[in-house]
Amino acid sequence: MECIITIELGTNGIRVFAYDLRGCIIGSMKGFYPTFHAEPDHSEQDPEQIFITTLYVLKNILNEYIHPKKYKVASICFCASMHSVLAVDKNGNPIGNAITWADNRAKKEAQELRDSQLGKKLYELTGTPIHPMSPLVKIAWIRNRDAERFRLTSKFLSIKSYVIHQLTGEYMIDYSIASATGLLNIHTVQWEDDALQYAGITANQLAMLVPVFTKAGKLKNAYQQSLRLSAETKILIGSSDGCLATLGDGIVKGEEKASITIEDSGAVRVMGPNILKDEQMRFFNYLLTDNCYVSGGPTNNGGNIFEWFTRQFGEFTNPFDMENSIQQLMEEAANVPTGSDGLLFLPYLLGERAPIWNANARGAYFGLNIKHERRHFIRATIEGILYEIYSIGKTLSEQQTINSLSVNGSFGTIPFCSQLIADIFSKPVQVRQQFHSVSFGAYLLSATEMGIYTSLDNVAPVAEIPNVFKPNKQHHTIYADYFCIFEKLSAKLFDEFEAIGNLQQKYAHPIKHL
Amino acid sequence: MQLEQISFLYRSLYSELKFHDNLYITHMNQFVLQHGKSAEMLLFPHILELGMKKNGSIQLNMFPTTIMEGLRIYHIIEGRFEWHINHQPYVFYPGDVALIMPDIPFGCDNDVLKIGSFTWIHLALPKKDGHIQPGKWSGLSDSEAAAIGKILSLNNLPALSRFNEVGRIIKCIYTELSEMEVAFQARVNHQIDELLIQITRKMTQQTHSTRDFPKTFTQLEVLLRQDLAHQWTVEEMAGLVGMGTTLFTEKVKNYSGFSPINYLINIRISEAIKLLKRVDITVTNIALDTGFYSSQHFSTTFKKLTGYRPSEFRKNHLRNI
Repeated sequence: MECIITIELGTNGIRVFAYDLRGCIIGSMKGFYPTFHAEPDHSEQDPEQIFITTLYVLKNILNEYIHPKKYKVASICFCASMHSVLAVDKNGNPIGNAITWADNRAKKEAQELRDSQLGKKLYELTGTPIHPMSPLVKIAWIRNRDAERFRLTSKFLSIKSYVIHQLTGEYMIDYSIASATGLLNIHTVQWEDDALQYAGITANQLAMLVPVFTKAGKLKNAYQQSLRLSAETKILIGSSDGCLATLGDGIVKGEEKASITIEDSGAVRVMGPNILKDEQMRFFNYLLTDNCYVSGGPTNNGGNIFEWFTRQFGEFTNPFDMENSIQQLMEEAANVPTGSDGLLFLPYLLGERAPIWNANARGAYFGLNIKHERRHFIRATIEGILYEIYSIGKTLSEQQTINSLSVNGSFGTIPFCSQLIADIFSKPVQVRQQFHSVSFGAYLLSATEMGIYTSLDNVAPVAEIPNVFKPNKQHHTIYADYFCIFEKLSAKLFDEFEAIGNLQQKYAHPIKHL
Repeated sequence: MQLEQISFLYRSLYSELKFHDNLYITHMNQFVLQHGKSAEMLLFPHILELGMKKNGSIQLNMFPTTIMEGLRIYHIIEGRFEWHINHQPYVFYPGDVALIMPDIPFGCDNDVLKIGSFTWIHLALPKKDGHIQPGKWSGLSDSEAAAIGKILSLNNLPALSRFNEVGRIIKCIYTELSEMEVAFQARVNHQIDELLIQITRKMTQQTHSTRDFPKTFTQLEVLLRQDLAHQWTVEEMAGLVGMGTTLFTEKVKNYSGFSPINYLINIRISEAIKLLKRVDITVTNIALDTGFYSSQHFSTTFKKLTGYRPSEFRKNHLRNI
């Protein structure tokens, strides 16, 4: 029997799934690796620990689920978070840690580029919003601020390219991850000269550009032996988490359906043959395969905001029992009227990306009156997080018709949240419980490569039938009214967001009182 | 009203409520017992000083910043004190405890001692592997003593709030030393163990909210990396974050996918890989620096995980230079 293994190199760790050829899960495992914040704006990960964790978890899943049942591993398909940058020297050894998508060190470079004509042009050519997350401006930062590292760098890789290089010796980058670097021309699918010039590098300082189905070389002998895998095991380069979540969610090109992911952070995405153009540079357009773009907008403020709320105001009957505490709060929120009796929450605790793209944005509760109670805050917090998701969906729907939604991610798939999304959007919402759409997307990609499906436009429907949450019209009317104020406040407070942010920075001090 | 004032009012109210707790001690007289000067201390070379001070009026040049080899523990009975520990200002209210690690500067701002009263004990604790540890007088087992020493050294928390237990223990030690009833030597040493245990537990409770495991895990990670060569035990790791070993192991497994020891191996191998890519350190030293018992143990673990022996791995990565 053959099986397919998917490896997701995510923000907080690695997730490995084993699927049979029909797409049923044989087993899954995860492994955490840390993010370091040596300075407030920095967000780094250790490439060696990521690699070791990958090997360790892969070995464990093989020994526990695959080898004892005599499965033959047909392929191992990779997917990864976007926007990471790792500098390596001429021997392929890392110079410093990998810089992750969440790193903000290049905010000055990003702001200057975003405000320039070149920035507008690069956004149109590359599809990547001009933001500190983009490898384009991160590399520019290294050139400007870390000349020694820049001089010693032979290649600028993504984390995934590094891990694959360790396993097979090949330097490769797939279209999807490449299209999130800000360096790839998504129209011609070549590295963009203007972007390379801005970053100060040449194309041979990047990994080889390949389609998502490409076999990224052969597993090195030592790993064949230690993992007990044959030389024929295909190592597929795969794609990015965003593209595969959309694919795995059953979104098919041109189906007028959007995929909503809400984990810690979130995103709303559509998939189609067209690039979404936007004067205000609010959307990303990432490449899955030729003429198939995953477009949408990301938010910083998803489930992590409700976890923040739970830590502050939850009951915590058991130590560290976040899940149970969240569950209790959800139950309380369900007993509060739709619209929280007019209490609104702006969830921008971590600044915001789409659609307002304002790093200075901050959170706020608005509309408090004397009748509001603790329970109203709970519901308002959830509604605020989902209004923000809606505001991304609303701007997307200006360009692309959206008739239905599919929701994934730990926060979005909480039934209470899924129903709210259906009501706020006034569209039916499909949810699959116990389903991991990124890994399933990687399975679909592998299965298509093996010829099980003829193309990605034609992948089989997911085995599990989804729950459908139907929108409630009355609730939608209430949400729509409140959303108008939410949207206005988010724009209107621009100056005050900046002012309070500046004061927070000015008066920041470590707490020393007991 | 300023936040500080509110906080002060709250503290005053709190100390009123807790008044009965402190009653026995407020009615005590001042005293200082010093090792080498007071006969009571003869049997206890590890107690450098024990004292109680009632300060009726603001005094100048009374509390200069000093550095000492011993561990200093102060418990506030009355008043409000602004003390500097390692050049950082802290405000102490009744019930609070100041904990000054060996060789850390401690004293009042401008040497001024405000009105109030407090009690203290200075302990001489031997150092082992760079960390203080209870000495031979202690009834703690070796591993528990090591864990306590490590937690005290690593947590770096000089201020513990609402902690009257410390005052009670110091009072008890003083009574035992004064009255010298049968078996007082054992009793005093028990109390010092008790003091260190209580402080260690309080410290971990105060450092770690039971609401944020990711944060707790991150803090632990930092401590492990700072001392990778140490032979960490699960008990020590759990103790550092103020959890029992069973809950700790379960939470770590749930969060990281690895048991605590396997997670530690992850960090060790990752660090070892970085060192193997440098030419200036031998494989044996890498093994010891990253916490393996021996180069043999390192080699076996490394090969099992990576498929390469450390020396092979090094050869592969250096050949291009």
